[in-house]
Amino acid sequence: MSYLITQLMREWGFLLRQKYVVVLLLCSFILSGFAIYSGLSEVSAQQQTIERLKAADQSDRAKVQKKQSDAGMLAYYSFHLMYSQPSSLAFAALGERDIFPWKHRINLLALEGQIYESDAQNAELAQGGKIDFVFVISALAPLVIILLFHDLFASERTSGRHDLLVTTAKSYFALWGARITVRFVAIIVCLMLPFFVGGFIAGASGFEVAYVSLLCIAYLAFWTALSVWWGKNATSAPRVASSLIGLWVLFAFIIPILGDLAINKSVDSPKGGDIMLTQREAVNDAWDLPKSATMQPFIKEYPALAPYIDMKSEFEWKWYYAFQQMGDLKAAKLSKAYRDAAAKKYELAGFVSWISPPSLLQRSLTRAANTDSIAAYAYEQQIRDYHQQLREFYYPWLFYQGDPTKASLENMPRFENTTQSGN
Amino acid sequence: MSINNFSKVVIVAKDEWRYWLRSKLAMTVLAIGLLLTLSSVVVTAITMLKLSHDRHELQSNAEQSFVEQPDRHPHRMVHYGHYAFRTPSPLSTLDPGIDAYTGNSIFLEGHRQNSAMFADQRQGTALTKLGSLTPAFIVQTLAPLLLILIGYSSISRERESQTLSYLLAQGTSGITLIAGKGLALLSVVGLVIAPLAVSALFTVSAGESLLAVASFVVGYALYLTVWVLLILLASSVLSKNSGSFTALAFVWILLCIVMPRVASTTASTAVPSAGKIETDFAVKAELRKLGDGHNTNDPAFKQFKQSLLKKYNVNSIDELPVNFRGLVASESEAKQANVLNQFAEQRMQSELKQTQVSRYFGWVSPMVAIRSLSMIVVGTSIETHHRFLRETEQLRFDFVQGLNKIHIEELDYKDDMNRNADAAATKKARVSAQNWQILQDFNFNVDSADVRAQRSVPAFLQLLLWIVVLVGGIKLVGKRLL
Repeated sequence: MSYLITQLMREWGFLLRQKYVVVLLLCSFILSGFAIYSGLSEVSAQQQTIERLKAADQSDRAKVQKKQSDAGMLAYYSFHLMYSQPSSLAFAALGERDIFPWKHRINLLALEGQIYESDAQNAELAQGGKIDFVFVISALAPLVIILLFHDLFASERTSGRHDLLVTTAKSYFALWGARITVRFVAIIVCLMLPFFVGGFIAGASGFEVAYVSLLCIAYLAFWTALSVWWGKNATSAPRVASSLIGLWVLFAFIIPILGDLAINKSVDSPKGGDIMLTQREAVNDAWDLPKSATMQPFIKEYPALAPYIDMKSEFEWKWYYAFQQMGDLKAAKLSKAYRDAAAKKYELAGFVSWISPPSLLQRSLTRAANTDSIAAYAYEQQIRDYHQQLREFYYPWLFYQGDPTKASLENMPRFENTTQSGN
Repeated sequence: MSINNFSKVVIVAKDEWRYWLRSKLAMTVLAIGLLLTLSSVVVTAITMLKLSHDRHELQSNAEQSFVEQPDRHPHRMVHYGHYAFRTPSPLSTLDPGIDAYTGNSIFLEGHRQNSAMFADQRQGTALTKLGSLTPAFIVQTLAPLLLILIGYSSISRERESQTLSYLLAQGTSGITLIAGKGLALLSVVGLVIAPLAVSALFTVSAGESLLAVASFVVGYALYLTVWVLLILLASSVLSKNSGSFTALAFVWILLCIVMPRVASTTASTAVPSAGKIETDFAVKAELRKLGDGHNTNDPAFKQFKQSLLKKYNVNSIDELPVNFRGLVASESEAKQANVLNQFAEQRMQSELKQTQVSRYFGWVSPMVAIRSLSMIVVGTSIETHHRFLRETEQLRFDFVQGLNKIHIEELDYKDDMNRNADAAATKKARVSAQNWQILQDFNFNVDSADVRAQRSVPAFLQLLLWIVVLVGGIKLVGKRLL
């Protein structure tokens, strides 16, 4: 045992004396720390925004409810906040939340006309990409590892010590194993330590932290093994590094880019604009059609409301909201196809990621953090469900109960965001 | 530099090429570089041209379906609304910039400003988070790496194989040697940029100005020159091939991969900008003060009513020669638009401030400088999106007020008030479909080349500063090259 420790201590001393190794390790630590710090502040900003919005949303609706008493007007002017809370791992994998909106305010009008509203971030910043922990591990760490491990053998060969070392060393491990272990542990500590601190601050569960750590360490071990193996018989360190970096370019850029091209070619998706147009035409045509053209299909959806569809005037709110829903219904097929296409693309991308380790890690971690497009579409489904609940709340008032009392407004369904963990 | 010296430089450069031609690594790297650049130029050109064609078509469809609507109440058309699509600029075939990250269509209707919808990224595979096959990405990020792989050993190799002191002793000055190696690397830069330049020149026929094309090509040439200088410096200063390589790879990671993201992250933390939903609360509170333009009895219009009665010298609104409901709609629309524009302008300014912060990072990373320069010159930066938002708002306001004018002048007030009585009354409260011709054709164009060139001046200065500093450093090193 003590023998092992002497070996490791010796290599640790060597490591500290190599300036560029120390610089590399220090930079990794700083970058990982910056990524965790900015991730934490982004997530806390999102949480604060949601809290502010919740308060503003409530007081805004209270004002509307005070001013309006007519059910139709209430439904028209009451907007409802919907949001997707960042998970406890979101600080490490910000994922797609800068592209997919995570907050909406929606009223009882046709949902298809409102759900694509994007309250997204500054597009130029989104295009530049954000630095988060996933990025540091999946894209940067392999490069650091390549720089740390590629010259393990080559540097000893060029300085003419290699053969001497090999013949005098007690065992293979005593020489190379100890060196590899020390460097590997050092880089893991530098990269993962900020994550542990971040996980503690964000209140991630032990299981979540362990799961992410396991994935990251396995990924880093893969790159380490690759770098060591590749450099085993080499004499020229830069040549080893060039081909390893080439491999990294292939894994991180070329394969994902080609996969993306192929997937986009193979999956047909309706244009988003077409959903909007279909919905708009349906809603606007309804004004000029006989009322029964709206009401007949409507009561097929809501048979219980069938006795109340007669109208006394050319304009009644119940008819107005009914044709809003019928507009949604007309666009439903396109809208479903649009979502299905996105889901299909994401699923196919999963296959591509099996031959691109950086993409695989990104997918796994954004899944665990619930910040991928699956999560975004789950949130979209929550919006749809809640909108449906609102409809079911308002329809009785609109069709037969008359204006709602202030007390009954208290029973309005509330939006519950459930941030489920991804695994 | 005298003729003699220059010919020596050329000889060194030719010799470097001879070395590359014999080296498997250099040839592979060069071939991959050219292949990537070429394919990215072709693929992106095809994609962007298709996008441009699609959006033109959608735009004319939207206009057609508006004009083809049947006889209706004019206010119904205000809510029927209109669509505008952001057609990409000709040069965006080389740098799509933010095109996929922000919605490219916008629904225009009365009383509100919608946000742009359907960003292409939301239908994406999430595979292109790190980079995409666009000429901009390839040349900004990967080309420097290729230059490093070809050039890291240009001077250090001579030193390691002990030919350096021999060369210097024979009368070749250090500067001449470095200049020769530099010339060889610059010729590689020329090779990489050639497909870009050719493709950029093609856009002239699509209406792009020569100034923009020239700034684009010169910008990229300056950027890659920065990298050539960095490589020469590292290779001269560091004594070993491996040292030069490690240092350059490290600098590349820092400048090309890390800095752009640090810039974006810092910008969004330094200048937090409230989202649209959040500012909408303030907007709605302001709008509520203005009154509901659908409701002529809203107390907010009392004064307006009085001034109208006075202006036309009548006692009641029934006696007005024009439709009072239309007047209220028009009046409140104008006031609303004022409020909406004020808030929209604030949002755009805070976005610009954010972007500005991220662009300052161009002083420390040439990659950030070229990224901004490229998007600005091409017309795919945030400013272009803002221009789109402003132009569509003008379009929105014009057609809504056009419809309100028809409401005022063409529709009788009593018919209008009576419109919900029965089916016949509803039919009477309509105007002819002929009126829908008021819609103007919308054709989105990016800012003029002059404006774009002006905006890109800071980014050019950033690149030039890098070049000046690096040339200074190399001169210093070149004199005492050993």
